[in-house]
Amino acid sequence: MVSDRAAFLTQMVEVLTSTVSFGERLNNMVHLLARNLKVDLALYFGLDKAKETLVLNISSAGPVPPHLRVEFPLGQGLVGETAGTRKMKVAHRHQPGIPAANAALEKLHPAYQTLAAFPVADDNYLYGTLILVDREDRSFTPTERQGVQLACLMLAGTLRQAIVQEEAKKRIAELSVLFEVGKALSSTMELDELLERIVSTTAKVITARGAALHIMDAVSSEPLVSSRYGQIPPECPALPKMGPGAGGAGEPPHFQGQSPDTKGLMHYCLAVPLTFKGQLQGTLGVYDKFTPSGEFVPFDPENRQLLYTMAGVIVNAIENALTYQQVEDLAERNERMVKNLTALQEISQVMLTTVQEDRLLEILLQGLTLEQGLGFDRAVVLQVDEAAQTLKGAKGARRPARPIEAPNNKALLLPPPAELPVAEWEIPLRADQGPLALAVLKKHPYHHTQTLKEPVLPVVLKGKFPAQEFFVVPLVVKDRATGVIVVDNQASGRPLETEPLHVLQMLATQAALVLENAHLYSTIEANNRELLLIRERMLESDRLAALSSLASGMAHEIRNPLVSIGGFARRIAKLVEPNSPLRGYVEVIQEEVTRLEKLLREILDFTGENLSYYGDHDLAKLIEDTLILVQRDLDANKIKVVKEYASLPRLHCDDRQMKQVFYNLFQNASQAMPHGGTLTIRTASMEKPDGLYEAAAVTDTGGGIPMEVLHNIFNPFFSTKDYGTGLGLAIAQRIVSRHYGQIEVNNEMGKGVTFIVTLPVAKYCLVKDAGHDAVPASALKAPKGGR
Amino acid sequence: MKKILVADDEMSIRLLYSEELKEEGYDVYLAANGREAMEIVDKVPLDLVILDIKMPEMDGIEALRQIKEKRPGLPVVLSTAYGEYKQDFATWASDEYLVKSSDLEDLKSIVKRYLKE
Repeated sequence: MVSDRAAFLTQMVEVLTSTVSFGERLNNMVHLLARNLKVDLALYFGLDKAKETLVLNISSAGPVPPHLRVEFPLGQGLVGETAGTRKMKVAHRHQPGIPAANAALEKLHPAYQTLAAFPVADDNYLYGTLILVDREDRSFTPTERQGVQLACLMLAGTLRQAIVQEEAKKRIAELSVLFEVGKALSSTMELDELLERIVSTTAKVITARGAALHIMDAVSSEPLVSSRYGQIPPECPALPKMGPGAGGAGEPPHFQGQSPDTKGLMHYCLAVPLTFKGQLQGTLGVYDKFTPSGEFVPFDPENRQLLYTMAGVIVNAIENALTYQQVEDLAERNERMVKNLTALQEISQVMLTTVQEDRLLEILLQGLTLEQGLGFDRAVVLQVDEAAQTLKGAKGARRPARPIEAPNNKALLLPPPAELPVAEWEIPLRADQGPLALAVLKKHPYHHTQTLKEPVLPVVLKGKFPAQEFFVVPLVVKDRATGVIVVDNQASGRPLETEPLHVLQMLATQAALVLENAHLYSTIEANNRELLLIRERMLESDRLAALSSLASGMAHEIRNPLVSIGGFARRIAKLVEPNSPLRGYVEVIQEEVTRLEKLLREILDFTGENLSYYGDHDLAKLIEDTLILVQRDLDANKIKVVKEYASLPRLHCDDRQMKQVFYNLFQNASQAMPHGGTLTIRTASMEKPDGLYEAAAVTDTGGGIPMEVLHNIFNPFFSTKDYGTGLGLAIAQRIVSRHYGQIEVNNEMGKGVTFIVTLPVAKYCLVKDAGHDAVPASALKAPKGGR
Repeated sequence: MKKILVADDEMSIRLLYSEELKEEGYDVYLAANGREAMEIVDKVPLDLVILDIKMPEMDGIEALRQIKEKRPGLPVVLSTAYGEYKQDFATWASDEYLVKSSDLEDLKSIVKRYLKE
């Protein structure tokens, strides 16, 4: 018995440690038990994966056909009971309840009498139940029982080993797949290539005919990237929708579907979501798993598991790649930004070294075109001409053919080597004149591209600035656009990016300010020069005036005695005998006095007396002389001149000042009639209580002066025009009143305006003027206190 | 005989003018300033006045104004060493304006023109 047992155990160990497959070993074991214990049947029921049912796997009677695949739920029948309690049990047919509970076994052995069931389990797991069936009503000796129990234990060990082995094998397969994927993913960092690798590897690992990957915006669902590999059956959805739990409750979301094609061939699809951090989501799908023989089969849960694992790896890889790309982009942008800002700072600094507008423009253009500056191919500065309301080319430059080998601050100070001729550029400041004019009008930069429809290049620039794409940036100071900077990369064909546009705007702000300062400085400088000149002239005229007043004072003092000396000499001469020697002496005195008087006149002419231009002048001649000065303006405005002069005595006046009065009146009349009209000039004499006056009336047909401004017209600096000083009428009035005269206005709204200048006539002028009827002296009355 | 007043602060000028005008047959009155001149104007029915401008106490311009007020028809000749006074509107009331010269022919012809009857 002992030797029997030893032989049995030896046989068992041999069977279990044999090198045949696990299934074979199990089979051999069952047969060995049946043979050794001399029972009719030995059956092995394995616990299924769900751990709910025990299914007949092996029978010592041979392979189990499908109709004999008997099964027991856990806890039912002797098989289930043994598995549930994990205790061996022997039962006999005659025992109550046994045939009913084990009826299924009758299919295998209709005449059984004894059933002995043994659990196949180790400390942790239950694998199944071994059951021995015999037609005899028999019991098993403790030795037999121990032997079977030992065999079951060994069986459990083997089963466990097999499971572990299989799992390890699967794990290894999975790991090698992941290794493959990882290798593919880490081999390159270009996102496009990465995605291609991902889909092809996924398809290969799962042995699917096709695979596809889609990444889209999580919010808008807008597809961002996608990649496909192999063949994707049109019957399967390219982008399957996966709600939570699409694969059933408790399962992570996935999509599994199948649909037949037109030929009746079934296609399969499996897809899992890709869940990214942030604003991305995606799917990874495989299509049509195929067997080595080429037939399509459904995807199994293990495939799904693998796809999930891969999805995780892929998400990481893509996130890494994206981050890397973002970091790289950021680094590149930073580098460009630093370069641009450095250039900007250097240009700004160099611009501070001068206040000359022309030099500033040169520095600005150097900064815009130099490689170490902003590096544009061409740059042009245009400035606003306020009076003409146009944009005029100030200066332009090309990028030097060879980079300048000098430190930046030195290179910026060099004159631009290749200037662009832009002096003829002139663009009216109107909205229909293209982006340059618009940039000024709207104080807004423009990025002009050929496709941009609205702002077109103005006619004047067509052919001169053939650019597909350029930037226009306005120069703005205190909310006023003073010009524009235009740059392009036409020659090299490099695209213009938005970033330099920002830098350009910063530079434009700085440049506008510096240019404005230079402009103000030059204005101040010019004013200063003029002031100095005026001061010098004033000093000069002060000196002259002092000298003159001294000379004139002396001359006057000398004149009186000289008159007496000369006068009496003449009297003596009359009394002296013609032959007397005294006569000669007296004549000498007379001649010398005459000579001195002439000298005095000359001195007085040169000095004080005649510094002003007072004289006796004919009013009509004054008017005629002045008309010559404004004739051009009158002709330009197509103004007809009507003259009605009366014959009048001369006026004692400063003719230059008087001409100024008429000049101002004629100018105003001309400007009041820009589209033509009639200028009427009449002169007449007027009797006034205090004497005789001459009047000149200047009439235009310019529509008159609006009532609301009429009271202001003689105020200094009042002007209705955009140009001029507003001093014209104020000066006229001042001059006329200095001549003891008046200016009156006769305004006829809708028709025109008449200015009447009245000037008093000196009485001695009346006497001198032959041909004019003398006015009664009583008419002239000297004003009180006038001096 | 026509009566002429000569007002001048320079004694030598008064002497010269009076000698010359007396020789021409006029009755000549003399004044050293405007105030004296006005006293004579008030007393004597003069036919013409010759006034210097720069004189102490009352100058020729004030005298001219007063004469033209009192006797608007009386011709007044301003005879002065200064040409500039011509720009003064107050002098415009005078009938003649003459810059003094040792040659008295101009003065005499003007006087003759006013007193020809």
